Amino acid sequence: MTLRWWRLAARNLLRHRRRTFLTGSIVVVGYVAATMTAGFVAQTFGGLKDITIRGQGGHLRVVSAEAVGKTDEEAAGLLLDDAEELTRSVATSPDVRQAMPRLSFFGLVAHGDRSVGYMGTGTVPALEKSATLAAEAVAEGTFLSDPEADEVMLGGGLARSLGVTVGGLVTVMTTTPDGGLNAVDAEVVAVLRWPIKELDDRVLFLPYAPAARLLKAEGRATSIAVTLKEGTDLERAAGALRARLHRTGTPAAVKTWIESAPFYVAVKRLYAAIFLFTGLVLATVVVLAAANTMTMSVFERTREIGTLLAIGMERGQVRRLFLAEGLLMGLAGSVAGAVASLLIRAAVNAARIELPPPPGATSGGALHVELIPLAFGVGFVLMTVTLLVASWWPARRAARLDPVEALSHV
Amino acid sequence: MTAPLLSATALTRTYAVGEERVVGVRDAALSLERGELAVLAGPSGSGKTTLLNLLGLLDRPDSGRLELLGEDVSTLDDRGRARLRREKLGFVFQSHQLVPVLSAEENVALALWIRGLPEAECRVRARAALAAVGLAGMEGRRPDAMSGGQRQRVAVARAIVGEPALVLADEPTASLDSETAARLLDLFDALHAEKGIAFLFSSHDPRIVERVPRRVRLVDGRIASDERTGGGAT
Repeated sequence: MTLRWWRLAARNLLRHRRRTFLTGSIVVVGYVAATMTAGFVAQTFGGLKDITIRGQGGHLRVVSAEAVGKTDEEAAGLLLDDAEELTRSVATSPDVRQAMPRLSFFGLVAHGDRSVGYMGTGTVPALEKSATLAAEAVAEGTFLSDPEADEVMLGGGLARSLGVTVGGLVTVMTTTPDGGLNAVDAEVVAVLRWPIKELDDRVLFLPYAPAARLLKAEGRATSIAVTLKEGTDLERAAGALRARLHRTGTPAAVKTWIESAPFYVAVKRLYAAIFLFTGLVLATVVVLAAANTMTMSVFERTREIGTLLAIGMERGQVRRLFLAEGLLMGLAGSVAGAVASLLIRAAVNAARIELPPPPGATSGGALHVELIPLAFGVGFVLMTVTLLVASWWPARRAARLDPVEALSHV
Repeated sequence: MTAPLLSATALTRTYAVGEERVVGVRDAALSLERGELAVLAGPSGSGKTTLLNLLGLLDRPDSGRLELLGEDVSTLDDRGRARLRREKLGFVFQSHQLVPVLSAEENVALALWIRGLPEAECRVRARAALAAVGLAGMEGRRPDAMSGGQRQRVAVARAIVGEPALVLADEPTASLDSETAARLLDLFDALHAEKGIAFLFSSHDPRIVERVPRRVRLVDGRIASDERTGGGAT
């Protein structure tokens, strides 16, 4: 189609400015809704991913080869030998920012006459502080500082269950790998506000040394938590680390954070399904509105279409003219939608609207809609294709009109 | 021997109205020479417009044969008929039927756009056609800024811009006052005389019927008479 036909299509759209504006507004709303939802979902995924990675201690975990296919609880007793040397070796990998040994253990923690089940982590305080959620989660007290001290940090829910505050003493009890019971008395140096409620009720941190003594697992670790350098490809780094362990004959496996995050995967799937459903509803509304507009346009211009056919316009040209009108409306609506989306996004982010905590979380956060260029591109294509689809039937109807009947249309 | 411009043999067209079939045109036979001026006359419902639609390749007969410039058009598909309409025929309708969002020049050029001619050529020819119908200087006006007579002249310009062999005009003066209608008829005369374009009108307007040298009268879908006056042009 040459420029003159596009010009005619554009002028035809402006015949009924109000109607075109209303239909275009629906396209704009659909576009804004799609891009804003994508931005919000991306923020949610980003936040959840960050929490999940830092909650696990890093992007990768080196675990016992026997831990493959087992849950963290099942694999807690499967320890890596010579953790110090292994940690040093992993830390020298080019993609690795830091590596730290961690011990995972479970048991009861008691204060006074109260005892509550916990999920414990023995860690290197300085490294834990720099790479994981724990440092940001300190609500009261100060982060663990002495790697040898019998000090403990408790989740807020756990501390409340025990009725203990910072400075209080608790007894941490667990079962050692050989089946014996062991306990350590530790001072509560910090109470955490862990973002996931179930964990807030259970989480407990001890420095690595007292944790190893408690478990009678000196020099060993449940995992080596690995934080990668910014921008490193997860799968490539995991592959390189696996190859390195294989070369050195180390009986260990490498798990990516996503392999240990079924919750993240499930939430992502759920959001994707919601996004798809919302998109379908939006597309349907846009299709119906645009199809209605185009159908009315065909009806009103029946005699004109009859004239065009009479003077020799081919049916294909008539069809293309109406499709061009739909396409132009989609393009114009998308451009306006992109501008509106950018403005609304800026306003929403500037307003710093506080969101309530999501289910299972202990705190919300400010609503922040990310700018997703891909969503803008996809929205553009989707809205344009949607308008083309909506125009197809009216365009076909126009092209199939009988010129004699069309010319006598009143 | 040159083939006639138009040759129709035993054209019949019926329509379904409920369960009955109503005759629009029955056994119509008509031949039109190049450059001829003729009118299909008759009262309302006599079949003038139906026959004009058949001869203008807008409608298909139930039976009969139609030749345009020696080519049998009875068996042509939609595309073939559209090609002949845009290349060999021109149309003027009772109401001007202009595209309201296009200027006078663009409305005329539209008949050339659909042939895919270059924009510059379309513009030059559209301006020339507008000048030929006395609308030089009004190229940029839209239909809603023109009088009824001017609009009908734009429609005539659109019909002749493609240099057709035949212009079919269905009740072209029906919506015009006497003075405007007279000027339009003068224009048809002039175009016929200057460009040698054949015109076939459908009308019961005596202003046309009395001026046209050949009068084909229809009654109840049949050609009742075919009269020629000796005056040549009107």
